[in-house]
Amino acid sequence: MLLLWQVGAAEYRSPYLPGPGDIYSAFVELVRHGDILGNTLWANIGASVYRLLIGFGLGVVFGVPLGLLMGLYKSVYRNIRAVVEPFRFIPPIAWIPLAIILFTGLTRYAFLIFLGAFFPVFTAALIGVARVEPIHRKVTLVYGASKVYVLTHVVLPTVLPDILGGMRVGLGTAWMTIVAAELTGGSAIGLGRMMVNYSELLRIPEVVVAMVLIGLIGFLFNEILLLLEKYLFRWRWQVTL
Amino acid sequence: MAATLTKPAAEAPDPRPVKVDVDVSHRYGTLPVHDGLKFTVRENEFLCLCGPSGCGKTTLLDILAGLLEPTGGRVLVHGEPVNPKRHNISFVFQEPSTLPWLSVRDNVAVGLRIKKRSADDVRSTVDDILGVVNLRGYENYYPHQISGGMKQRVAIARAFATDADVILMDEPFVSLDQPTRERMQAEVLSIWARKKGTVIFVTHNLEEAVFLGDRAIILSAKPARILADVRILLPRPRNTLSPEFTRLRAQFANLLNAAVPAGTGG
Repeated sequence: MLLLWQVGAAEYRSPYLPGPGDIYSAFVELVRHGDILGNTLWANIGASVYRLLIGFGLGVVFGVPLGLLMGLYKSVYRNIRAVVEPFRFIPPIAWIPLAIILFTGLTRYAFLIFLGAFFPVFTAALIGVARVEPIHRKVTLVYGASKVYVLTHVVLPTVLPDILGGMRVGLGTAWMTIVAAELTGGSAIGLGRMMVNYSELLRIPEVVVAMVLIGLIGFLFNEILLLLEKYLFRWRWQVTL
Repeated sequence: MAATLTKPAAEAPDPRPVKVDVDVSHRYGTLPVHDGLKFTVRENEFLCLCGPSGCGKTTLLDILAGLLEPTGGRVLVHGEPVNPKRHNISFVFQEPSTLPWLSVRDNVAVGLRIKKRSADDVRSTVDDILGVVNLRGYENYYPHQISGGMKQRVAIARAFATDADVILMDEPFVSLDQPTRERMQAEVLSIWARKKGTVIFVTHNLEEAVFLGDRAIILSAKPARILADVRILLPRPRNTLSPEFTRLRAQFANLLNAAVPAGTGG
């Protein structure tokens, strides 16, 4: 496939249709000399990943306890459901104009990523609680287990696989959101920002380098979480992909 | 002849101290479930509760475990109202109840850990009981890696590990195949002989009751009343094929059939 691409690109000789060779040299160039603003490629990646981890971390820190709580107290959730659920259908990108007005810098990015990560994690925890088997609760209650014990030793182990699954979905959404958020500006650094800078200069090879990196980094994060799942949930038949 | 096999419990007082004192009239909404169920269980006694399906056996066990407050009456353990935090209750359930995220060893230790036993105590008790139920070598397996019979052995080991005041068993072998079931019955008796304990074993299988029990209480259909309360005097180990065994079983079956109105199909 790469070969076909290379041959096709060489045939066309258009600067807007770079071949794999052009992209590779653009990559090498970015690694060696940094981007047009003088930021190294690693600094760009680092900035994006840093924002991702902050926003994603916030999404998990709020999403998991709230999901568990709402799952355990269904009546509370039924009452606030009509207020909470519509937010799920507003794509994080649709929040960008508001985020630009309300926040600056890291806070803005963190807010947008948080929105991307929160709902998948929250929903996974909420739904997971419903899967707790009454018999598993009963096993511990017979021995006089406290509510806290049931939560930490029965509910949490049951829900954890769902939460990890939600985290993988949330991480994907969050990562896509960060790139979109960086496209809107506000900072001179970040993979999305770098992409805009080069696209404005019509330097397509660098744009494609950024695209490939975004894809690979997302994939890498997903694989890390999958490995974590495989390790944590070795008590299950298998971890489904 | 029959008199040598059984005796009405009232005519043969048991010298052992009373462990559980039951007097329950429970209603579900307006529907009476138990109609003045009154009996006591002695220390280290193996009591079988038999009745047609839907006679509120599972509800009764929840009440005996202190998980459900009866609408009328009470359950006393050592003279005090039963409470899972104060008393030491064990429960072997009908459905698989091993926790899938815990290894065999940790599953057996659940009760001990909730009762806050020391780590050394947990280790030695679990090691000991795993030997009794023939699960040595499977300590680190997860429930999905072992058979249904082994899972039930884990549940039984868990129940006997805590030296409970009362061990409640809710038709624990009903989902097992016949040979496994027979082997498990024999195993429960050998664990019980070794570890001791007051057992209340619910079953609708009369053969099981005659094979296991020191005593059997036969319940009627809902609202459940006590039809018979007899001590089983057959010597152990019991042979399910012996004429005495068969006769006793038939005697129980007659009692139970008399309780089910014709045509309701139980």
